[in-house]
Amino acid sequence: MADAIPLPNAEAVLAQARDGDVAALEELYRAFETPVYNLARRICRTSEDAEDVMQETFFEVCRNLRQYRGEGSLWGWIRTVAASKALMRLRRNKYRDTDELEDEAHQGPRSDHGLRMDLEAALERLPEISRAVVWLHDVEGYTHEEIAGMMGRTVSFSKSQLARAHTRLRRWLGEETLV
Amino acid sequence: MTHIDLDTLVRLREPGREPGQAEAEKHLAECEACRREADRLEQRVARLKALPTLKPSRDAWPAVHARLRAEHRVRTRRLATFGLAIAAGLALILLLHGASSSSKTLSPALTEAMARSGQLEQLLESYNSDGRITDGHTDGMAGALEDQIARIDRQLEMAQLLRARERDTALLNLYRERIGLLDALMDVHVTRASNVGL
Repeated sequence: MADAIPLPNAEAVLAQARDGDVAALEELYRAFETPVYNLARRICRTSEDAEDVMQETFFEVCRNLRQYRGEGSLWGWIRTVAASKALMRLRRNKYRDTDELEDEAHQGPRSDHGLRMDLEAALERLPEISRAVVWLHDVEGYTHEEIAGMMGRTVSFSKSQLARAHTRLRRWLGEETLV
Repeated sequence: MTHIDLDTLVRLREPGREPGQAEAEKHLAECEACRREADRLEQRVARLKALPTLKPSRDAWPAVHARLRAEHRVRTRRLATFGLAIAAGLALILLLHGASSSSKTLSPALTEAMARSGQLEQLLESYNSDGRITDGHTDGMAGALEDQIARIDRQLEMAQLLRARERDTALLNLYRERIGLLDALMDVHVTRASNVGL
């Protein structure tokens, strides 16, 4: 996702939105609704949760637009709000940290032998935290330090979740196993 | 020969140095199988980035806008409720103590101040009834004024308990202060509205 504001008259829209102009706020919403939803949906388990996260994100963005002082991109600021809200949603849904527990709880004990799926399905199948880490790190470009901060966990936790996610993706995608 | 495991390959992509990284990088440079594995990892990340963008099935803006308006109205109503409560409390005290009080009615100056305060509240209410969203700066100024008005309102409640002569003087002073704050709050909203051309 581009870091620039995808608006032709971005500065004017931003100034008007900061002054509480409803049309300008809606214009900001229209510009960022899809990337915000996409991020939320990649992290959350259901589309309903993702839509709730999107609503929460824009409510907070509209209320606190003055806090964005132009340091870094507007999308970067909105994206961090969205990521935090999505992770908060995961916590609210009482996710389980332990992958094995989650696997058993949702799908029962299983074997991955002979399993091969496309990337979309494999990503969806990852445990929530692993999926969030792989998306935030590999796609959105957050560092492990940033992810750890948002999740309230350690950097090594984020790193190990990323490695686990790739181990599983490689297996589920039917890619050759080296070791 | 021991190949690099995926965990190490993932960590090699990170900036900074970790224990054993130099050795792993040396192996990677020499081992074709590990380089293929590293390439697959990079390709997998590239494919993740290329996944289609998911789009919402519903338009969330009406809900966001409604929440913003609702929040704005709650604060406006809170102000009006304070004013009504004070006026009602004063009326009740006059009713209960009127017969024994030396003054059954309020002084003209106090009556006028209360009326003016009520008018300003109504004006503010009508000004905000369109649910316009207030920006953060205006919000801060308005919030500070509303806090001061709330402090005056608490003092007004206490002043109602004073004896008639002291009460009227205290109430008059407090109502005059309240009118000043309401005027200032009105100015904040008028200035904001003119700035955005409303």
